[in-house]
Amino acid sequence: MGCINKNNNIFDDPRKVIASALVELGKINKNITYISCDSSLGASGDPFRKSFPERHFEFGIQEASSMGTAAGMAISGKIPFITAYVPFITYRCFEQIRDDVCKTNLNVNIMGNNCGLSVSSLGPTHVILEDAAVLKALPNITIISPADGPEYKQAILAAAQLNSPVYLRIHRKKTKRLNSEGYKFKIGKGSILREGSDVTVIANSTMVAKSLEAAEILQREKIDAEVINMHTLKPIDSDVILKSSSKTKKVVTVEEHSIVGGLGSSVSDVLIKDNPVKLKMIGIEDKFAIVGQYDELLDYYGLTGPKIASTIGNFLM
Amino acid sequence: MGKLSKEEVKKLIEKSYELRVNILKMMRFGEAHIGGAYSSIDIMTVLYNKILRHDPKNPKWSDRDRFILSAGHKCMALYVTLADQGYFNEDILWTYNTINTKVQMHPDEKMLAGVEFPTGSLGHGFPVANGIALTAKLDKKNYRVFVMLGDGECAEGSIWEASMSAANHKLDNLIAVVDRNSLQVNGRTSEIMDSSPLEDKFNSFGWEVEIIDGHDFNQIYESLSITPFKSGKPSCIIADTIKCKGLTFGEDKFSFHHWHCEADKINNAIDVVGNVKRKELEKIGLYK
Repeated sequence: MGCINKNNNIFDDPRKVIASALVELGKINKNITYISCDSSLGASGDPFRKSFPERHFEFGIQEASSMGTAAGMAISGKIPFITAYVPFITYRCFEQIRDDVCKTNLNVNIMGNNCGLSVSSLGPTHVILEDAAVLKALPNITIISPADGPEYKQAILAAAQLNSPVYLRIHRKKTKRLNSEGYKFKIGKGSILREGSDVTVIANSTMVAKSLEAAEILQREKIDAEVINMHTLKPIDSDVILKSSSKTKKVVTVEEHSIVGGLGSSVSDVLIKDNPVKLKMIGIEDKFAIVGQYDELLDYYGLTGPKIASTIGNFLM
Repeated sequence: MGKLSKEEVKKLIEKSYELRVNILKMMRFGEAHIGGAYSSIDIMTVLYNKILRHDPKNPKWSDRDRFILSAGHKCMALYVTLADQGYFNEDILWTYNTINTKVQMHPDEKMLAGVEFPTGSLGHGFPVANGIALTAKLDKKNYRVFVMLGDGECAEGSIWEASMSAANHKLDNLIAVVDRNSLQVNGRTSEIMDSSPLEDKFNSFGWEVEIIDGHDFNQIYESLSITPFKSGKPSCIIADTIKCKGLTFGEDKFSFHHWHCEADKINNAIDVVGNVKRKELEKIGLYK
């Protein structure tokens, strides 16, 4: 059972949490470096730059070579955190991530800013809904989509400790605090935030809070949902999926990402092998995103608490 | 900086042609990127024998100079050089093109001591070299990072990104050597994608540039040994070379970028290389 902080209404800005976590990390580990692709100010690097100017490197708008440079730093003993908008720090430099970072299995920490529908008004060049699916195929990479402030902080600290590549999916919107400060985050270990017996709901990132909201709505209809925060997409926590699905016999996944190759797909991979129960994937269909305000789009894609509850209710009928 | 003595030049010529023969011996087991290996091997011979501060017995020595082969397909030259230096047993060379070989057609750092970084996809090694050079600066270490590029490779966008950022970050501990053999897999570089004037491009990107004859051991040595050319700036050596230099019937032919030599023709090729070595020594009055 995760350390849920029920009765609060605290919201954290992921970028601010990460900024302070990186400064904290920089103080205790002099090998931490920050590589900005003209992204530091808008992302999470400015406090780090001010605290450790000699370890903050600006590379401008050249993500492909910057990823290779991060690999060069890592192979010579540094622990780089490299950041830019999701499309530029994943697709633009995909081959560098594959060859220079993953094949070498280096401690390069890739921070993809503004994942999911974060920057919904910028249109589909900037709204990337397939990043996790694409990167998931690469050997050696760990993919983390934190759900709240404490988890963002813990994920940053854990990524530096893990001596292999990490892709952190960072959302722009403030996140409701779900976990207490004492929360123990462990890469690759899903966290049960709400126990239930009728259906297992597995979510990540922003959709954890929405799924908890859906679970409360379902409770009123006497549906008892178990909610799992699957912050690590890869490696996926098979144990928690199998244990919970053995109990509930029905699984729903919820993600602010394409249902092609995302969380739903990873959960499906586990279930189909060892416990083939009914599965419903809630996410974004196999399409490029439309443009709109964030909350409007969540509603459009059925990713609000009430709509998730409704979809789950129909699924259980 | 001193000049090489005649005896030193003789030794280097003999070494580079001995290594060329080893490449041919490896090719008993299959085809190889011989053209780039032969155009670059004189430079590598000088680097490993006269320039790099390195210790084959301690390949991870933290103060060693680094050599990154950005044009990874030239790795046959690197393999025979590293084996000759004692980084690994020469017998490994004779496993070329067999299952699970450590001498792959593109180098892998996890397979062989002395290989600093895996390369093969063009345009990757140069930015990596930047990262290592930045680490050296950050750690206040004096080691240098040498990166070898091909002139065909210079069509890659990442080369110019890296070139811009190396100058921006004042990486005077970085030395790029362009093996300008003027050919690439499909033909003459000037016809496929003309990168000329390469020297002006590097210059305008903020580098100090020298052009040398990449088969003249004195020029190679003299240029490499005065790097960095200028404090605060990265150094670029454009080495004009001949693709497949040393195998006369393959010289300056793009079809020898990647060549399959029938097993029964290897000995003939070895003889051809031996004759070229003799002529090279004769040219400077060193053949007896």
